[in-house]
Amino acid sequence: MAGGYKYFEAIEKHAGLLGILTAIMVSIGGLAEITPLFMAANTVKAADGIKPYDPLRLAGKDIYVREGCHLCHSQMVRALRAETERYGPYSVAGESVYDRPFQWGSKRTGPDLARVGGKYSDEWQRVHLIDPRSVVPDSNMPAYAWLSNAMLDVADIQARMRVLRTLGDPYSDEDIAGAKSALEGKTEMDAMVAYLQGLGVNRPAESATAGGAAP
Amino acid sequence: MTPFWSAWIMFLVVLNLGITLFLFLWGQRVAIPTLADGTSGHVWAHGVLKEGIRKLPLWWVLISLAMFITGFTYLALYPGFGSFKGMLGWTAHGELATDLAANRSKLDPLLQRVAVQPVETIARDAEATLVGQRLFIDNCAACHGNEGHGNHLVGAPNLIDGDWLYGGSGDAILASIQDGRMGVMPPMGASFDAATVDNLANYVLSLSGADHWPSKAAAGQASFALCAACHGPTGTGNQALGAPDLTDHVWLYGGDNAAIERTIRDGRSGVMPAWRTRLSDTDARMIAAWVYEQSRSQAR
Repeated sequence: MAGGYKYFEAIEKHAGLLGILTAIMVSIGGLAEITPLFMAANTVKAADGIKPYDPLRLAGKDIYVREGCHLCHSQMVRALRAETERYGPYSVAGESVYDRPFQWGSKRTGPDLARVGGKYSDEWQRVHLIDPRSVVPDSNMPAYAWLSNAMLDVADIQARMRVLRTLGDPYSDEDIAGAKSALEGKTEMDAMVAYLQGLGVNRPAESATAGGAAP
Repeated sequence: MTPFWSAWIMFLVVLNLGITLFLFLWGQRVAIPTLADGTSGHVWAHGVLKEGIRKLPLWWVLISLAMFITGFTYLALYPGFGSFKGMLGWTAHGELATDLAANRSKLDPLLQRVAVQPVETIARDAEATLVGQRLFIDNCAACHGNEGHGNHLVGAPNLIDGDWLYGGSGDAILASIQDGRMGVMPPMGASFDAATVDNLANYVLSLSGADHWPSKAAAGQASFALCAACHGPTGTGNQALGAPDLTDHVWLYGGDNAAIERTIRDGRSGVMPAWRTRLSDTDARMIAAWVYEQSRSQAR
């Protein structure tokens, strides 16, 4: 035991060796925590009832990401009583297989939106996006009024769906063929409202029993 | 988790904790060659600064030891060591179920009471209406406002003015909450030209005694026959259809000439979503009770 000093001395005197050994020790944590989840992420299957986005909702999802809605709104109800009672049943991985990028998170300035579909009327969603404070006086959400005047860009929706198909979304040739006509004449507001009104409405039945609706 | 990944995690955890624990125990015993003056022989600034040798402070050793003990205890009690579930059998979903059950048992006396009482009775129960108010603010206020005053922009009715589209009994309020309502005013712009819409709007204004052009109102009266199918021949509305009473001073979308013209021309669709799948029966009953109680106390 007493002769161990030479090993300590070798490491202390060779900064490169110290760096390599430090990196190895630090990476063990990452290898244990990240790699199994990384591999598991490729094996998660769509939960019952979860379907790929139809063209209008897909366009809405892309606007949602473009406008940075995820910076204030998560789409993940955590398995905590305060969350399941406010937002509904907790989220499961199989609900998000068609979300690229996924919209999980726990950083919220506004409420979680994982279960917001159908909670308000289409008209409310429209009015709220145009001027949030006209319906929620103490809201600090920015207004997105221009969405009503911006027509959807129909040119690349089919290309986007084809890319998603190569990533594993089960779009059929008919789905892709009909995508352009589904967006014709629609505004970005229409797409956003369609997307928001679809959030959580197809959630799998097995998680329905887990949340409590009692106060 | 597959056996492979479980073994992978176990191996890495053992490796990491093994190496660090070994270094912790061994590092304190390694003898450092020391000169006669008690320094290591490393010098700086031509021998002015010399590296002394000290033992590790006791507090540092104890804190490190405590961290090892905490780590091992955690891995023994909680899930973390591969697929080992931990001696406590803890899961996030299990904790949620426990929390829900604990809260449920606190509320049970209240919930059992409101499950069977009529809404009108619950409305006199201060505890139930307090819960109902909280639930209203969380779920209903986005359209109806924190105090239930409604919102013309989305056609959300004022709930505390004592005026009802679909009836103000406890059961009617509860039905509105649980099953939702679809108020449809069809667009008449295709049937009426602009002048007729103008005349009709003046006639509608005259029904409630609001400011209007008498000549235009007289001209519009004949066209009102089409409106009477839902709003009634005298414009007093129909609660079976949710057709508003046009003779009072309560307006869903605003009662000025422009708003009424827009309503006639473009129609309106007022959607109250159905809450049956979001709110439990008892939650809906307590909200209905709070609304009922508010509408009564405001009207008094």
